[in-house]
Amino acid sequence: MSLLSLQNVSFGYQDNQPIFENISFDVKPGEVFCIIGPNGCGKTTLIDSILGINQPQSGRIMVADNDLHKMKPKEFAKNIAYVPQSHTKTFPYTVLDIVVMGRTYATKMFSAPNTAERHRAIESLEQVGLKGFENRLYTELSGGELQLVLIARALAQESHIMIMDEPTAHLDFRHELMVMEIITWLVKEKGLTIIMATHFLNQAFYLENAGVEIRVALMNQGTFKAIGTPTEVLTKNNLKDVFKIFSSIGMTDEEGINQKFIVPLKNIR
Amino acid sequence: MSPKKKTIVTIILIILPIIFFFGTICIGRYYVSLKDVCLCLWQGVTGYSSGLSTETIAVVLQIRLPRAFLGAMVGAALAASGAAFQGLFRNPLVSSGILGVSSGAGFGAALAIVLFNNIFLTPVFAFVFGVIAVILSYFAGRIDNTSPTITLVLGGTIIQSIFAALISLLKYVADSATELPAITFWLMGSLASTKTSDVLLAFVPMVIGMMGLLLMRYRLNVLSMGDREAKTLGIHVNANKAFIIISATLATAGAVCVSGVVGWIGLIIPHVARMLVGNDNKWVVPASMSVGACFVILCDTICRTLTGGEIPLGIITALIGGPFFIYLLKKTKGRNW
Repeated sequence: MSLLSLQNVSFGYQDNQPIFENISFDVKPGEVFCIIGPNGCGKTTLIDSILGINQPQSGRIMVADNDLHKMKPKEFAKNIAYVPQSHTKTFPYTVLDIVVMGRTYATKMFSAPNTAERHRAIESLEQVGLKGFENRLYTELSGGELQLVLIARALAQESHIMIMDEPTAHLDFRHELMVMEIITWLVKEKGLTIIMATHFLNQAFYLENAGVEIRVALMNQGTFKAIGTPTEVLTKNNLKDVFKIFSSIGMTDEEGINQKFIVPLKNIR
Repeated sequence: MSPKKKTIVTIILIILPIIFFFGTICIGRYYVSLKDVCLCLWQGVTGYSSGLSTETIAVVLQIRLPRAFLGAMVGAALAASGAAFQGLFRNPLVSSGILGVSSGAGFGAALAIVLFNNIFLTPVFAFVFGVIAVILSYFAGRIDNTSPTITLVLGGTIIQSIFAALISLLKYVADSATELPAITFWLMGSLASTKTSDVLLAFVPMVIGMMGLLLMRYRLNVLSMGDREAKTLGIHVNANKAFIIISATLATAGAVCVSGVVGWIGLIIPHVARMLVGNDNKWVVPASMSVGACFVILCDTICRTLTGGEIPLGIITALIGGPFFIYLLKKTKGRNW
């Protein structure tokens, strides 16, 4: 059974200019499906379609045998949680106010989350390593802490699928690793399924090395060039074709960790 | 905020409007003691004779009571709508008039003054055109069956300026001896001409609107995350937005049609409320109502007691509100804002 499946999905903002065309894939329960590709290849637009923000021009998106575009927002949030690529801070809400919004779908239209929901939100905060942050103003957090808060909010939704659009954009190494550790924990311990887009190719190797079931989809000009394990897909030749770069792939041996890594060397002129 | 502090603030926000309400009925060139005010109200409710002079009873029941009541309602309605629109549009600088309700109401009032010169039709026209202006803004800002925040604000700004131009046109053609001053005073806002019939007319939409805003207040938090996040958090964004816009419009149109255009309240009071209770709209909306009610009662009392004549309410709200807001800003260092 597949948890999420795309069947020949195409989308474009104008009729004859598709952003992506005939994308099909199945996401299996408990895996990380990692979408990688150059800027403007259609990653975010594809994610928007999976979030139900874009209506595909053709094809279907199914979530556990339900058509995604016929799902009510409530049902959607129960199945899929979303960690945005960037968040525009508005009013200085407390961190708890932000995280507890993950429980919105379980809250009746005319009420606010109750104490039980607030406890659940505090639990999510502790799980991402932000114990004691609940009364801080979220406008005063660092970029890394904010990202963890947004992950905690998605976690509080208790859905099976989490969609992360460039979860480590703007983060320092330490917070990048924290996010990777959380993703590993979410998949291996909590059994979540994650769809993520990233520009940091080494993250795919990190997750592969951490024993996470991971597949990489290499996207270019609106189609998938290759789908498979990071080792299968992230090869010098594929990177040359898609990113137009020469690169080197090596292997670390520090700290007893043998993990592959990619170093971009130069552009192909 | 600690639970203890929250309890104290809540109690103050409940008691303060009541104190202001009774205070304003006592105060005036004809002073009535609190005990007499209570006796009058008791007589008004039960019909049991209080033994007070008919003059006192008339001042309390027919002049000051409807005016105090309307002041409290207008303040609460404008402040709550302002808080709702600030959350909905994710912008602390918008006010209850952002979708054109005040300009539309101003136009309606001016039209009634020029066409009929009838004090009974003025609030009715103001209400109807206030609502029409918001409907126009809503459809001006609608794109492909969605209503993105930015286009809604743009739609509102355009409709506002169209109605402002139409008001100018009506002022231009109005009789400069009688109609022009009437329009000008209406636009400055006042509770001076409050009649019991006005209270009844404005009461229903204001109460319905404020009830709607109170019911939906938590959803404002979610909507202020932006359309994309609000949707993925599991709410029907367009339906929720429409519900809030309808509620805020009923509340504001109800207020504006009897009080005229009173600026400031819908912009500033929600910020005062946030400084008191934090940013969770679950608390901001009711706190705005309480502070708004107190503020309008206070300003209106000053309007009718400061000089021999009546000063328009819109002038006092800005003159009192501005310095008070600067004081609050300095005191809280803008942290909670």
